[in-house]
Amino acid sequence: MTKFSQPKDLEQYRQTLQKQRDTKKTCISICSGTGCHAYASEKVVSAFEDQLKKQNLTNMVDMKRTGCHGFCEKGPIVVIHPHNYCYVKVKPDDVPEIITQTIQQGKPVNRLLYEDPETGKKIALETDIPFYKNQTRLIFGNNRKIDPKSIDDYITLDGYKALVKTLTKMTPQQVLDEVKKANLRGRGGGGFPTGRKWETTKNASAEPKYVIVNCDEGDPGAYMDRSLMEGNPHSVLEGLIIGAYAIGAHEGFIYVRQEYPLAVENTEHAIKKAEEYGLLGKNILSSGFDFTIKVHRGAGAFVSGESSALMSAIEGRVGEPRPKYIHTAVSGLWNKPTCLNNVETWANVPFIINNSAQWFTSMGTPNSTGTKIFSLVGNVNNTGLVEVPMGITLREIIYKIGGGIPNGKHLKAVQTGGPSGGCIPEKYLDLPVDFDELYNIGSMMGSGGMIVMDEDTCMVDIARYFVNFLSQESCGKCLPCREGLRQMTRILNDITAGKAFEEDLELLEDLSEVVQMSALCALGQSAPNPVLSTIKYFRDEYEAHLRGECPSKVCKALINYTIDSTKCKGCGLCLKSCSVKAISGEKKGIHHIDNERCIKCGNCLESCKFNAVLKTTGKQILVAKR
Amino acid sequence: MAKEKTKSHFVGVRLTEKQKKALYTLQKNSDLSKTDILLRGLEILSEYYALGLDQPPLNIELKKLEEEAIQHLKALKQIKRREESVKQMIQELREVDEIIDEYGGEKNALIQILLKIQEKNHWLPKPALLWVSERLSIPMSQILHIATFYKSFSLEPHGEHLVRICLGTACHVRSGPKILEAAEQYLGIRSGETTSDTKFSLESVNCLGCCALGPVMMIDNEYHGKLTPSQVPDILSSYRIGELTMTEEQQKLAPIAQRPTPQQQR
Repeated sequence: MTKFSQPKDLEQYRQTLQKQRDTKKTCISICSGTGCHAYASEKVVSAFEDQLKKQNLTNMVDMKRTGCHGFCEKGPIVVIHPHNYCYVKVKPDDVPEIITQTIQQGKPVNRLLYEDPETGKKIALETDIPFYKNQTRLIFGNNRKIDPKSIDDYITLDGYKALVKTLTKMTPQQVLDEVKKANLRGRGGGGFPTGRKWETTKNASAEPKYVIVNCDEGDPGAYMDRSLMEGNPHSVLEGLIIGAYAIGAHEGFIYVRQEYPLAVENTEHAIKKAEEYGLLGKNILSSGFDFTIKVHRGAGAFVSGESSALMSAIEGRVGEPRPKYIHTAVSGLWNKPTCLNNVETWANVPFIINNSAQWFTSMGTPNSTGTKIFSLVGNVNNTGLVEVPMGITLREIIYKIGGGIPNGKHLKAVQTGGPSGGCIPEKYLDLPVDFDELYNIGSMMGSGGMIVMDEDTCMVDIARYFVNFLSQESCGKCLPCREGLRQMTRILNDITAGKAFEEDLELLEDLSEVVQMSALCALGQSAPNPVLSTIKYFRDEYEAHLRGECPSKVCKALINYTIDSTKCKGCGLCLKSCSVKAISGEKKGIHHIDNERCIKCGNCLESCKFNAVLKTTGKQILVAKR
Repeated sequence: MAKEKTKSHFVGVRLTEKQKKALYTLQKNSDLSKTDILLRGLEILSEYYALGLDQPPLNIELKKLEEEAIQHLKALKQIKRREESVKQMIQELREVDEIIDEYGGEKNALIQILLKIQEKNHWLPKPALLWVSERLSIPMSQILHIATFYKSFSLEPHGEHLVRICLGTACHVRSGPKILEAAEQYLGIRSGETTSDTKFSLESVNCLGCCALGPVMMIDNEYHGKLTPSQVPDILSSYRIGELTMTEEQQKLAPIAQRPTPQQQR
């Protein structure tokens, strides 16, 4: 492949690629995102390869390993074009049937199609599945059409068109104005207006300037940046190059978590290809603009996702935040002006350039424009990645797209914004999801984690979990965060252990406010959010814990297992399952649990077929303990 | 062939002291190593035995030679082992060198360099760190600061199989902690430790990024999803079966470098 030296060469190449593309040819696209990979999609791929070879169909059928389709719950996912049949939970043994039925005869394999749990009907086409149908897939849309290792796939689907437009028809100022007009806000958590950030860096006097992609997605329960970086790395690169052109930077960094090996691999591959095609390097498409990108792997520290900490890490130092009296946009990497944006933010840029700011603002709400990818996880039927326009309600996301709560249970809360976000109770389900609305009710957009919790989740335990997580991830540089979080963890541990007193709750609230006000960086400042939001909306649960009850029966110190003598048949299953020999009883006689020995693992409850094992909570347990 | 000739030359000949001395000088001048000579001497003497030429003085000589040979063999083995370990060390340092060169010896790339070393060895050996410190002229304290700050680094060797249990929020609300407990109970270690037979290291992580599978356990590069605590022991024990090529005693004695890596075993 020769380098493109002129924009028109690239356009010509695109046209030849598009002409070559045979839309009628059968194409098997297999999701190879991390979720499907974990479900052994590679075995499905090799089964297809074997079968196609055996039946001499290799030339008639294209095969594509694509990025994440988003519907991780039903993986591995296989889509057969041009019919657009979508098969879920495909196993290697299903492959011969798919080949004879679909590829040779064009008929769908009914048993592999998605079944609508409401109507029980099978849905053949990918686009008709409610999970997909109710989404607006803008940034994430190409993931399922592209082989992340193929730059040609991306170019065919109008990739790098925005770059050509930028370099040939727009001045840096025009690009900046367009992004400002689009009112794009940072997708990484803060929601800071991207255009303003760019402008600050652009207007800073020092040289050189840097641009950075933040793919240090440390939030537990969020993986949209990963899927984008793994599935469509070129869209991020294109956004970054356009941004660098607008800002006047000639060097960029992509900071990827080392825990995402596939993202690292695909990004490095994409950079290499873009360099080969002349879309990176010196004098890009004869515009006189130079730009290079380096990949920097993060070594596993949640706090490194904070902008100033991330920059320290790139400099080869410990990723600790520093006070930001001067913004990193003015003095960042090596004390030079540095513009850092999240993966999703950069990926939005080519769309704005291609379709204009006006088109972009037509989606979403006036203050939160465009779409947002959420990772919908936890106690929800359709776990996966969801892209929706801003302003959609939580109810629509959870029930229409997510398919509701499994096992007929009741929704208790939704946690958004990662560990620093808050828990939203059921009464706010009809609230439109955008940056400001979420902030107003004590949570935040964050990077887009959305964890659904059912009635069996203890909110105090959740608060304890997050504060514990953050106190472990605190870098320890500033005292409020280091000591404050440690003390908060202690109080929360006491509450869940039934050892706390009423005044502890007040102390916890006071402490939370102090940490919020005085911590150095965003990690500390937002760390009390889970505590404050749960106290605000679920105060009764805290109070119940103080009385020695755990309403959801989660906190071990406050629950007891007993056997209902009227239901016990003496089968002995629970006795066998108990690893600490706390259960006694003869065969066909009523069994008994010794609470002194019981470690409350719940194995007996899991094993009993007669629902004879009961979980109880209440004061008497606490009294016995004290 | 040359060996055969010399052998036949001496067969059936009874050596006097003088002759023996002559033989030694002869062999000294040849380019044979001392062990070779001793082994050959033993060979000759054993043939004497076979021919029924067993006589007391000869017996004593034989014993002496035998002892000497054993001594030399021991020394030789020791030297070879030492040589091997020195070679191994040099090799390891060379690999470190290569990694440093890959990043052009830049100080800024310290974290990337450490990540590569960690990837190769599954831990950060001290000699490697000292070497990095020397090459990049970064003080050791700073390197240890980084090595202890980031989660990916380990200053202790890991077991053969790395068991990672996800405790991310999505797995937490789907009872991830119970999976960790089950694994801790089965392996008899706590999170962050390695079993005494160095088979397993157990770790808890904050998110493996495949929340649809929760609760998830990842062993080396394989995912085990939608787990219940009762499944955990079976899965873990399947990693023990068919992989024990050495006895437990041997495994304890074998230096870490010689132990087969999991990939080799598979």
